[in-house]
Amino acid sequence: MDPSLVNDSSFSPANPSSYTLSEIWPFPVNDAVRSGLRLAVNSTPSDKDVSTAAAAAAAAEESTVTDLTAGWGGRKARALNSEEDESSKMVSLSSSGNEVVRFVRFCDDLNVVVSVDLKDSGEKKRKLCGSESGNGDGSMKPEGETSSGGGSKATEQKNKPEPPKDYIHVRARRGQATDRHSLAERARREKISEKMTALQDIIPGCNKIIGKALVLDEIINYIQSLQRQVEFLSMKLEVVNSGPSTGPTIGVFPTGDLGTLPIDLHRNIYEQQEANESRGSHPEWLHMQVDGSFNRTT
Amino acid sequence: MASADKPINTDVPEKDVFTLHFLQSLSNLRRQNTFNSPEKTNDRVKKIKKAAYVSMARAAGGTNRLWSRALLRRAAKENSKVVRFPRRKKRVTCLRRRRSNRRDPVEEEEAERLRNLVPGGGGMETSKLMEETAHYIKCLSMQVKVMQCLVDGLAPK
Repeated sequence: MDPSLVNDSSFSPANPSSYTLSEIWPFPVNDAVRSGLRLAVNSTPSDKDVSTAAAAAAAAEESTVTDLTAGWGGRKARALNSEEDESSKMVSLSSSGNEVVRFVRFCDDLNVVVSVDLKDSGEKKRKLCGSESGNGDGSMKPEGETSSGGGSKATEQKNKPEPPKDYIHVRARRGQATDRHSLAERARREKISEKMTALQDIIPGCNKIIGKALVLDEIINYIQSLQRQVEFLSMKLEVVNSGPSTGPTIGVFPTGDLGTLPIDLHRNIYEQQEANESRGSHPEWLHMQVDGSFNRTT
Repeated sequence: MASADKPINTDVPEKDVFTLHFLQSLSNLRRQNTFNSPEKTNDRVKKIKKAAYVSMARAAGGTNRLWSRALLRRAAKENSKVVRFPRRKKRVTCLRRRRSNRRDPVEEEEAERLRNLVPGGGGMETSKLMEETAHYIKCLSMQVKVMQCLVDGLAPK
């Protein structure tokens, strides 16, 4: 520990990997920044928070340092990263996020460079936490702060509500590809499966079937049976139509006047509800007619 | 891909309209049949079937639905009539250009079968196809019920 530069470093000495300002930030520090650091650190009483604040500050400093001095990476950066990992696993990121946020706000009018790097450090932290990398949209706004930028990735942080953007937000789950094509594919697939569940509600007996292929088979069978029924019924109607004498004759209907229909037919049309699957049997006379007609054609 | 989830739009086909159209066409056919009775039964059956489908297509929303539009066009072609359609907002060419996006071979077999069944299914994307299938099924079941009632009501006692 080098006490010459900073006398009042409030990093707890119990933490072996804590750093004084001098070690991390070999550049001259103006008092404002130092007081800002102290402010951020002082506002959190507990040890853990101090360490995370230290990690946050350290991360900030580390990122700026790595930006500026390429060769400094080395041991300290790796140690910092490991500490970051550990602290992020221990403590919810939101608290450290808040610390970073407060730091940003405080340093904004003082040192613009620091705020920019803090965003990068936030980005790095998110990457280290194992969330999906590749913020491909690149829509990282300064007011987005530590909330997930771009809006199309799911992290484990609790974020502020994002401003509504003009494209669809799809929550990508962990371990799934996040490029544009697969997102579109997934959205399309979800649309199709939603329509299929709607279809399932219409068709009786399709609720118990699970699996797209079987449901589709069921749907196709249903449509085919419906079309076959229409054919049978049209044959029946043809018999009715071509008979010389039918009960109530189908006369000429004036447009829009269903009242000329006989009463019982009217009632039938509006009240009769037949189950679809039970229309398998046809009366005997129809069978005879059908056989006759088939004989004639063959 | 900028729209939220619209509620699935299926308007219920009207029984009255369908019955009306169908009965009108049936009476037309009956008047025709008294003149030329040596016609074979199959042709009459086919005419009735076509009349049923056409009246159903007209009752179910006319040219607002893709499948009914295709049905009407098919029927009109057989009769060599000219059918005038109101101008649609989207052109069919846009749909055809997006065909390349419809990958996923597992689904496409099933979708192929559906396309063969539902009229007008050739030029649709899979999601649109599902909507049309749902509406088509509703209309078909309505048609079956009405025809059944008609047959029961008009059968010689």
